[in-house]
Amino acid sequence: MKSSLYQLLFAAILGATTLSITACHDLLDPTPVQQLPDDQAITDAGSARSATIGVYDRVQAYYQLNWPVLGFLPGENVRFNGTLNQFLQIDQNQLSADNVLLTEAWTQMYQAVNGANNVLAALPSINDPLLASAEKNQLLGEAYFLRALVYFDLGRGWGGVPLVLSPTRTKENGQGTRRSTIAQTYDQVLADLTQAEALLPDGTTRNRAVKATARALRARLHLYRQQWADAEAYATQVIGSGNYGLVTPYRAISTAPFLSRESVFELTFSNSDANTMWNNWFPSALGGQFNFQPVPAAIALLNDPAVGGSRSALLGTTTIAGSSVTYGNLYSRSAQRDDPSYVLRLAEQYLIRAEARAKQGKLTEALADLNAVRSRAGVPASTASSADALLLAIENERRVEFAFEADRWFDLVRTGRAGAVLGVTDQRRWLFPIPFNDLVADPDLEQNPGY
Amino acid sequence: MKSSTLLAVPVVVAGLAQASFAQTASTVTGSVLDATDRTPLPGVTVVVKGTTIGASTGPDGGFSLPLPAGSTTLVFSAVGYESQTVNASGGPVRVTLKADVKQLSEVVVTGYSEQNRKTLTSAISSVNGDALKDIPAASPDQLLQGKAPGVQVSANSGVPGGGIFIRIRGSNSVNASNDPLYVVDGVFINNTNLIATGLGNQVSSNPLADINPQDIESIEILKDANATAIYGSRGANGVVLITTKRGKAGDKTRITFNTYHAWSKAPKQYDLVSGPELAQLENERFLNDGGNPALLPYRSVAAGGRGLPEEQQTYDRLSDVFRTAQTQSYELSAAGGSAKTQFYVGGGYFRQESIARPTNFDRFSLRVNLDNAVTDHLRIGTSTALTRTHRNVSSNDNNPVGVINSALFPRTNLPVYNPDGSYAKYGSFDNHQALIDNLNNDAVGSRVISNVYGQYQFGKHLTLRSSWSIDFNDMYENNFNNTLILAGQPRGTATSFLSRDITLLNEQTLNYTVDFGENHSLQALVGNTIQKNTFQRTSLAGQQFPSNDLTSIASAATQTGSSARSQAGLLSFFGKATYSFKQRYTADVSVRADASSRFGADNRWGYFPAVGLGWRLGEEEFIKNLNVFQELKLRGSLGKTGNQAGISDFAARGLVQGGANYLDLPGTAPLQLANPNLSWESTRQWNVGLDAAVLQNRLLLELNYYDKYTSGLLLNVPVPRKIGFASVVENYGAVSNKGFEVQVTANWLPRAAAVQWSTTANVARNVNRIGKLAAPITSGSRDIFRLQEGAPLYSFWLYHQTGVNPENGDAQYEDVNGDGQLSVADRRLVGNAWPDYFGGVTNSVSYKGLDFGFTLNFEQGAKIMNMNRFFLVHGGTQSNIGYLREQLDRWQQPGDQTDIPRLTTNPASNNYGGVVQNLSDRYLEDGSFLRLRTLSLGYTIPKEVVAKARLNSLRLYVQAANLFTITPYSGLDPEVNSQSGVSNTKNFDWATVPQPRTFQVGLTVGL
Repeated sequence: MKSSLYQLLFAAILGATTLSITACHDLLDPTPVQQLPDDQAITDAGSARSATIGVYDRVQAYYQLNWPVLGFLPGENVRFNGTLNQFLQIDQNQLSADNVLLTEAWTQMYQAVNGANNVLAALPSINDPLLASAEKNQLLGEAYFLRALVYFDLGRGWGGVPLVLSPTRTKENGQGTRRSTIAQTYDQVLADLTQAEALLPDGTTRNRAVKATARALRARLHLYRQQWADAEAYATQVIGSGNYGLVTPYRAISTAPFLSRESVFELTFSNSDANTMWNNWFPSALGGQFNFQPVPAAIALLNDPAVGGSRSALLGTTTIAGSSVTYGNLYSRSAQRDDPSYVLRLAEQYLIRAEARAKQGKLTEALADLNAVRSRAGVPASTASSADALLLAIENERRVEFAFEADRWFDLVRTGRAGAVLGVTDQRRWLFPIPFNDLVADPDLEQNPGY
Repeated sequence: MKSSTLLAVPVVVAGLAQASFAQTASTVTGSVLDATDRTPLPGVTVVVKGTTIGASTGPDGGFSLPLPAGSTTLVFSAVGYESQTVNASGGPVRVTLKADVKQLSEVVVTGYSEQNRKTLTSAISSVNGDALKDIPAASPDQLLQGKAPGVQVSANSGVPGGGIFIRIRGSNSVNASNDPLYVVDGVFINNTNLIATGLGNQVSSNPLADINPQDIESIEILKDANATAIYGSRGANGVVLITTKRGKAGDKTRITFNTYHAWSKAPKQYDLVSGPELAQLENERFLNDGGNPALLPYRSVAAGGRGLPEEQQTYDRLSDVFRTAQTQSYELSAAGGSAKTQFYVGGGYFRQESIARPTNFDRFSLRVNLDNAVTDHLRIGTSTALTRTHRNVSSNDNNPVGVINSALFPRTNLPVYNPDGSYAKYGSFDNHQALIDNLNNDAVGSRVISNVYGQYQFGKHLTLRSSWSIDFNDMYENNFNNTLILAGQPRGTATSFLSRDITLLNEQTLNYTVDFGENHSLQALVGNTIQKNTFQRTSLAGQQFPSNDLTSIASAATQTGSSARSQAGLLSFFGKATYSFKQRYTADVSVRADASSRFGADNRWGYFPAVGLGWRLGEEEFIKNLNVFQELKLRGSLGKTGNQAGISDFAARGLVQGGANYLDLPGTAPLQLANPNLSWESTRQWNVGLDAAVLQNRLLLELNYYDKYTSGLLLNVPVPRKIGFASVVENYGAVSNKGFEVQVTANWLPRAAAVQWSTTANVARNVNRIGKLAAPITSGSRDIFRLQEGAPLYSFWLYHQTGVNPENGDAQYEDVNGDGQLSVADRRLVGNAWPDYFGGVTNSVSYKGLDFGFTLNFEQGAKIMNMNRFFLVHGGTQSNIGYLREQLDRWQQPGDQTDIPRLTTNPASNNYGGVVQNLSDRYLEDGSFLRLRTLSLGYTIPKEVVAKARLNSLRLYVQAANLFTITPYSGLDPEVNSQSGVSNTKNFDWATVPQPRTFQVGLTVGL
C-alpha cells in the first residue's frame, strides 16, 4: 500500500514533467488583447470609422496644449510664469532645436499625418455593405481635411516640410523624402482641401469636418499665400452659408455646451477625454499652476471698453494672499475638463475677408467685416480710412479677438510684422527650428537657417 | 564532492541510525567543543566511519553512540566546521572542531546546484545572512551595499521600501532591463514596481521589500557568464540567489525573537536665503534688467512696493517636512527538525517612517519552509512566503506639487498661510502643510512567493527534481485628493489601481553526481523550465466629490475606468556538467536554450553556452613546497547570456492600438512598427580570476577581471519622425563593460586568540562604453542625458561653462563648434554618472561576548546633476522660486571672480535662460563619497547567565547607520537617483528624500 503511494508520487512527478513540456505552444504565441496587427486595422465599416476617429484624436493631441502655446506664447499677450524652460524659451523668442515642446509637437503632428495616410490608403478598397458610399466619402474627406490641417500648421510653423503621403509600414518608408518648399507644402494642403471639399458632406457639424470646414481652412490658406481674391471668395462661402453667425455675448463661444453657431471647427473634449488646459491658466489658489499669465498690457487692452469690450470675459480675477490677481479664463472648465480647442471660428473668417478685401482696395467692405467683429464685442466701430490703417486695425483686432488661441505669432510672421511688433528682428527666427533629435535620425532633413 | 554533500549527510545518517542498533557491540560517549571559544557544540553529526551509524550532539555538545564491533573511527562534521576523524578506542571522546575557513572551503549555491568553493570556476560573491541582519533597511538588496565586489547598490532615495539601483558589473542595455534576476529558493521573482500612482518619476516601490531580510540564510551573486549562462536569457545582468533559512535534521527546535527600534533624521538640510536676502536679490535682478530704480519690487509699501528688503519675514517650511522618523522591527522564528522533517517558520512585522512626512512603510511577513523525507528516496518540501506591505506614498522629486518641492521651492519671504488662515500656494507649487495634512495615498501589496518540490533519488547518483512555483504579486492603490490640495482641484479627485503580476514557473532537473575512485568527480544536470508571466491592471478615476469626507470613487460624480492585460512565455532547456580531477583541475560546461514569445517564430530560440576552467595551483607540489599558499587557484570562464526583459510583450509586431478616442467614439491609431527580425540581445563575457590564501589562511585574496560585450541591443532606434513614429525596437548597437574586482579578507589574529578581528575590503572598477549606436538618443528631463557612440551610458549633455566674465558678469560657455554663437551644437557630454571606483570595507571584532563592527562604502568619480541648484540658483528667471544661499555669490561688480553669473532674466546673456535654458554644467557636481554605512556594538550575555533566565541566548546591540559621509557634493546626499523611473538616467538630485542618519537599539533572544 505504502510503496504504491510512493510510486504514484513518483509517477506524478514524471507525469508533470512530460505534461509541462507538451503544453508549450500556447505559451509562446500569446494573442494581444489590446492591439491589432497594423495590416488588419482598417478592414470594414467599423474599423474605418475608428481609424478616422483616431486621426481626430491625434490632431486633438497637438491642439490641446502645444499648438496653442506655440501660437500665443511667442506673442506679447501672455508670459510664462512656471518653471519649465522649454516654455520660457518660447516666451522669450529664444527657441533652440532641443526645445522639448517643439519636438513633441512635431512628433504628434506627423503621427496625425500617418493616421490620415492609413485611412486614405485603406479606405477606397473596402467593400462593406455597412459602409455606404456617402459615409465612405465622408471618412475620406475627413482624412484629407485633417491631413491638410496638419500640413498647414507644419508649414506655417517650420516652413516647407517633408511631405509623406502614404502609410508607414517600415522605417524605410519615406526614405529620401526631403523637405519641400513652403509653396509645395501649401500646394499639398490645397490639393487635400480640394479633395476634402468635394468628398465631405454639407452640414453644420462643428467638431467634425464638413464642406464648410474645408472652405474655412482654405480661406485661411489663401490668406497666408496672399491670394486675396480666393481668400475673400472662400471666406464669403462660409460666412454666407447661413449656418454660422457671430454670437453674443463674446463669452458664448466658450460657454458650455460649446459648439456655438460661431464655431466652424473646434476639437471637443469630455471628462473621459479631458482637456486640462485650464490648469495652466488658473492660479494655484484656484487649483491651477498659473503657468500662463496675461501680461498687464494685454489685461489693459482686454479690459478697455473701446478695445476689448465684452472680450474682457477672457479674464478672471481672484485674491491671493490679500492681493488681486488676474488670470486667463478662456479655458475654465476645471471640473468638467471639457474645454474645446478652438481651430476655426467665424470671427476669423470675417477678419480674413476684411484683410483680403483691404488688400484688394475694397475698403468699405473690409471695414464692414472688421466692424462686424467689433460690434459683436461691443466696441465702437473702427473708422480706419486708409488700407494701411485698416490692416493695422485688423491686426490689432486679431490680437484681442484670439488673445489666447493659436494665432498671434503666426499672424505677425505671416504679415512680416514680427520684427516690428515683437522685436524679433532676426527673420530666420520666424520659423521654428527642426527638432535636433530628428535631424540626427533623418539624413534627409535640413535645419532652418539660424539655428 | 565530499564537502558538497555535507549538508545531506546528517539527514541520511540520522534516518538510518535507529535501524542499526541491533548490531551494537559497545557504546561510545563524548562531547564536542568549539576549538576557538571552547563552548559546547550542539548539532554536530557523529558517524562511525564505514557504517551508517550516527548521532547528533545535544545542547551540551554531548553524544552517545553504539559502536559496532571492529569499528573505532568516528567522523565529526558540522556546517561551518572542518570535519574531523577521531579514533574512539578508549573512554569518552573529547573533540574540538575548528571553524572552517570562510571563502575557500564553503559550499556555494550556484545555478540549480551547489558547489564547493574549491572547485568553483565562476565569479560568485557570497554574503552570509549574518552580515545582513540588523541593518535597518526594508529590502535585502539594499543590504548588499559595499559587501560584494562589482555589485553597485545605491538607494534611489531615502524613502522606505522605495526603489534601489543595482548593477552587477555595469549596465549592458539601453532599452532592455539592466536589473539582475532574483531567485528566491528557486523561484524567479518579479522585480517590477507595481505602484501606478505617479510619484515624480521615482520608482515608487521595490518589490524585493516584500522579502523579510531576517529570513535570509545567504545571498549569492552570480557575476560571470559561466555562473549565469544556466539562466540563459535571464542571466545577462547577473543573478542574485537568495536562500532562506531552513531547519536542520536533529536540531532541537530553536526559537528566536529579534527586535530593534531606530530613530532617523536627515543628516543635512537645504540652505535657503532669508526673506531680506531674497528681496535684495530680486531688487538687484530688477535693476540689472534695466528696471526703474524708483520702482524696485521690494520698496516700501507706501510707495506701492512689497515692503523694503529688511521688512521681509522668513518662513521655514522645510522643518515641517523633515522629522525624526521611527523604525520598528519584530521577528519571531522557530527552526528545527527530526530526521524525517525539518522546518523553519518565521513571522515578522516591520514599520519604517520616512524622514520626510507623511510617508510610511510597513510589512507583515510570514514564512514556512518545510522539508520531508517521505522515503529514503523521495523528498518533498516547500518554501512559502506571504507578505503584506502597506505604503503611505507621497510625491517628491520631479513634481511641483511634491511635498519637499512645495517646501523647498516657494520663496522664503512668502507666508505659509493666507490672512484668513487657509493654505497659501504660489506659482505651480502646492502648500507643503496642506500636503502633509491631507495626502491620502495608500498602496497595499500582497505577495505570495511559493514553491513546492518533489525530489526522487534513483540509486546513489541520480536525482530527479520537479518544482512548481508561483510568484503572485498584487498591488491595490487608493488615492484620494481632497479640495485642500492642488491635485484635488476643483472638487476632489480619486484614483484606484489594482495591479497583478503573476509568474508561474515549472522546472525539472535531473542531477547526476558521481565520484570515480579517489580522483575523479562528475556532476551533471539537465533540466527544463516553463515560465508564464501575466500582468494586468485595472484603473479607476473619479472626479467631483460631494465632500472631502467621502473618499471612495463610488461617491464621485464622474467615474472613468480602464484596464490593461499582457502576457509572455518563456520555454527553456538547459544542461551543465562539472568535472573535477583531484579537486585540482575543474572544468565546467553549460548551455541553455530559451524560446521567448516576444520574438517572431523564426527568431524565437536563443542558445547560451558557457565554459569555465579552474586550476588549483596550490595543490601542485611546486607550490606546496613554497609553503606560502594555503590556497592558490586560477579561474577562467567564457560564455554568452541573453536578455529580453524590459521590452514590451509584443515588441516585434506592427500594431494599432485602441483608446485613440474622440467625441466619446472609439478610435484606433498606429502604435508601433513591426520588426519581424527582432531577436535576443546577447552578452558575451569572459572572466579571469585568482583566489589565494596565505599566512595560514589569515589573508585571503580574490581577484577578477572581466570583459563583457553586449551586442544586438534591444534598442529603440530613432526613426525619422516624418513617418509618424519616433522609434522602432531593433537589435542594434553594442555596449561594453570591462572591469576588475578585488576583495581582500584579513583575519588579523590567529583563530585561537581570544580576540577575533577580521576585515574585508573590496574595490571594483567598471568601464562602460556604448560601442555602437544608430544615432544619438537623448533622455531624461530637458534631454539632460545623451547616449552617444563611444561614451558611457548616463552621460550628461550640457553646456560647459568656462567661467563668468569678471567685467560684465555674464556666463561664458565653451563654443564647441567654434561658430561664434551659442546653439545646441555647443552642448556636449560633460561627464557621467558612473563611479570610477566603488567598494566597501567590512570590519568585525569580537572578544568573548562583545562584538564590534562597521561597514564603509564608497564611490569615487560619479557626477550628479543637482536640479535643486538648477532651480534655486536661477538668477531671477523663476518668478515663483526662491534661492539657495549659493545665489548670494553672484557677480555684482566688475572685477568679481565667481562661478555664479550676474542676476538677470535677459535671454541674450544666456546666464540662466536663453538658448542655454540654464543647462549649464555649473550644476553638475562630483558625487564621490565615503560613507560609514553602519557602526555597531553588541554584547552576547554569557550562556550561564541567560540559562538562569531559561533562555538559550541573548544579544543586545546598538548601531548607528550613516553616521558620517565624506563628500564634496553640495546636496543633501550623494546617494541619489531622483528620476529612477525614467530610463537611461541616473544621478539626478531633485527634491529627493536623503538617506537618513539612524540610531538603533536591538535585542535578539534565543528561547
